[in-house]
Amino acid sequence: MRDQAANRDNATQLRSDRIVVTGLGVITSIGIGCEQFWKALLAGNSGVGPVEAFDTSDFPVHLGAEVKTFEPGRYVFHRLPTQIDRASQFAIAAARLAVCDAGLPISDSEADDIGIVVGTTSGEPRVIERFDDHYVAGEVKNIGHNFISTYPCSALAANVACELGIGGDVVTIPTACAAGNHATAYAFDALRSGKAQVMVAGGADSFSRITYTGFARLGAIAPNLCQPFDLNRKGMIPGEGAAFLVLERLDHAQIRSARVYAEVAGYGLSCDAHHMTAAHPNAHGGVRAMELALKSAGVDPRHVDYISAHGTGTPTNDRLETIAIKRVFGDYAHQVPISSIKSMLGHTMGAASAIEAVACVLAIADDRIPPTINLVNQDPECDLDFVPLVSRSHKVNVALNNAYAFGGNNSSVVFARCGA
Amino acid sequence: MNHRVAVTGVGLISPLGDSSSSLFSALCDGRTGVSKLQEFSSNGHRCHLASRLPDFRGERYLSGRPLRPLDRTCQLATAACGLALKDSGWHTEERADIDFALVLGTMFGGMHTIAEFDRAALTSGPASVSPMAFANTVINAAAGQAAIWHNLHGVNSTVSGNSASGICAVGHAADLVRHGQLRTVLAGGVDEFSFESFVGFERAGSLCNDDAGPECPIPFDRRRNGFALAEGAGFLVLEDLSSAEDRGAKVLAEVKGCASAFDCSQGRDSALAIRTLVRAMNAALSRSGFAPDDIDFVSASANGSIPFDCIELTALDVVFGDRGSELPVTAIKCGIGEALGASGPAQLAAAIETFRTGRLPGVCGLQELPPGCPLGGIRAETIETPATSALINAVGLDGHCLSMVLASRDN
Repeated sequence: MRDQAANRDNATQLRSDRIVVTGLGVITSIGIGCEQFWKALLAGNSGVGPVEAFDTSDFPVHLGAEVKTFEPGRYVFHRLPTQIDRASQFAIAAARLAVCDAGLPISDSEADDIGIVVGTTSGEPRVIERFDDHYVAGEVKNIGHNFISTYPCSALAANVACELGIGGDVVTIPTACAAGNHATAYAFDALRSGKAQVMVAGGADSFSRITYTGFARLGAIAPNLCQPFDLNRKGMIPGEGAAFLVLERLDHAQIRSARVYAEVAGYGLSCDAHHMTAAHPNAHGGVRAMELALKSAGVDPRHVDYISAHGTGTPTNDRLETIAIKRVFGDYAHQVPISSIKSMLGHTMGAASAIEAVACVLAIADDRIPPTINLVNQDPECDLDFVPLVSRSHKVNVALNNAYAFGGNNSSVVFARCGA
Repeated sequence: MNHRVAVTGVGLISPLGDSSSSLFSALCDGRTGVSKLQEFSSNGHRCHLASRLPDFRGERYLSGRPLRPLDRTCQLATAACGLALKDSGWHTEERADIDFALVLGTMFGGMHTIAEFDRAALTSGPASVSPMAFANTVINAAAGQAAIWHNLHGVNSTVSGNSASGICAVGHAADLVRHGQLRTVLAGGVDEFSFESFVGFERAGSLCNDDAGPECPIPFDRRRNGFALAEGAGFLVLEDLSSAEDRGAKVLAEVKGCASAFDCSQGRDSALAIRTLVRAMNAALSRSGFAPDDIDFVSASANGSIPFDCIELTALDVVFGDRGSELPVTAIKCGIGEALGASGPAQLAAAIETFRTGRLPGVCGLQELPPGCPLGGIRAETIETPATSALINAVGLDGHCLSMVLASRDN
């Protein structure tokens, strides 16, 4: 094991293109900003409550994890309320917090070398929902001139760029619930190839009637609790939020004396090519993504100290993810702490893996692991260490972040302590 | 080490035919896919033109399995991917052991499916909706469905940069191949014409209209008054050049480099918009190791939009300087309309045909350039011009500026 560690140290020292995390920003149902979010996460707070965004009386389920204390005016200074909708507001707020946290002034001279990449599942679903309200009411004439500029998912990255004055690569990655990890991967490649000096990467999604309707129809929404890996788990709970990470090359961070939280060590992406909404029963795609991520990071599986599980709380996901982790980690699977913060935040869709990335980075910075709450009666088929109920102090040098999505998308990103 | 990026296959479903050659011969003949919109009564609309695929039937391209799980956008993308794979000479059996990737660009994904799904829930209750339709309400549905159909197990990504999404996807995929992250990837884009997008663009005043005379979706024309909304799908197979040559593939072209820049004024500040597009073009050239003088022709993004066509004209003048007076410039949206995610891939397909045939299609319908137009090489007529390199522009309606250098194998 020491040899492996030595190899990795040699490999990383030789690489001049190490990509590091220097800023974090989050908007979640349990807290806004890193400090509040991390405290709430370690305390095991839940953001789940009765849905307020729309009337759920026609639904068999009524819970959601909405962001209830958000004041867009505190973060959005330049875009007018008519120009942007809720997911863009979240994205702007979280990106602004991340850029402030990184101590990164966006001056005119650097703006062109800074990029923004936003992962999302639904873009701005409320804009099309309002379109549909007009349509159903026979009032197509009331559809506004700004529908077409506010709806497309690319508006998320564009709005953040306009608000923060970013002039480099601006892209939105709508790869459903793996989108946050896809965004990190995109930024990692853009920085490694020298296309950008700084990338602000993350994800955002707003609570949506369309998403809620779909998951309810699939019978995937839990009636009371999100209980990943519990024997009685009954599904996921839709949520909303946003998170962004400021990423840059290590030498760039060092020149500007930035605080370095952690390193993005590598990523792996794969596709089941099997079913739009169901994972392949052999879990091969998830295995492949984790293996590719560890390989690209040059990390031996036994050196992973924490896994942030996709852990939605649906019967199938949690069982298959357990199988995939066992396949990749062998006996060590029983030793590595794994948790699902979706137990607290619900499933924030395209934002989820970005928020979980922040949790991974903070776990490395703070050597603490957030718990899987509501896990009281562990499923014997999910027989790994899921850090039930209470957070744990644990040395975290390497964290692995899993996210899976509609379309058969599997994604894993490795974060590692930098330097040492 | 950087790899060279080869284009080894093209698949296209466009209002001017379902192959590069049919698109190209129509463009060279000055035919257009833009025609009177049949769907809606003209009452209450100021735009009556669009460029559509009324005869598209997925079954014609995709057989052996039920097509019902795929909505129209998914079918367009999956069909075009199939054509590109076939053109590239990759057989299904040979692909089984490799992680074939897919990077899809789209502005709207399945917006019509999303809206219909929501409206079904509104009118008949949330329990009445179809779970199968829900699967297609994610914006990456087309990429997911194409992967299932063609058994693509590698990276499966969807990217969006407004109406420049197609070049976003091809540029990103080319960079992944260049830097050794991928060896083989399908890259391109799709968008369908929908009621929702038509109404949206019309309300925003983006479409050609009859407010003050005839509708004129002709790129660069003085009379232009907006674009004609179009639809389609186009994909390219990209692979690293040496692997492509090892397997004996025909190399249609090379993606030399791509760059992206963002105009925070979103076209409102024309000086900034021009500077941003200039920045994208110059970065694409320098990443490719090309000087402006090395470029044989430009495939413009121009679509008939009043502000954006002018921004592009001026930006081309800035980049090409004295050469602007003779630099050949084409704008194929005269023929296919603004096909959003499919526009960029169609521009690439047409450019490859120019390399092959030495013909550059004219801007059909062009009568008069704007006063003081700095460029002399924009013509209505198709010209003979041996070409081995092209600069391809894609300008989003919201500030996304992309530029790509494409070259023939002989360059």
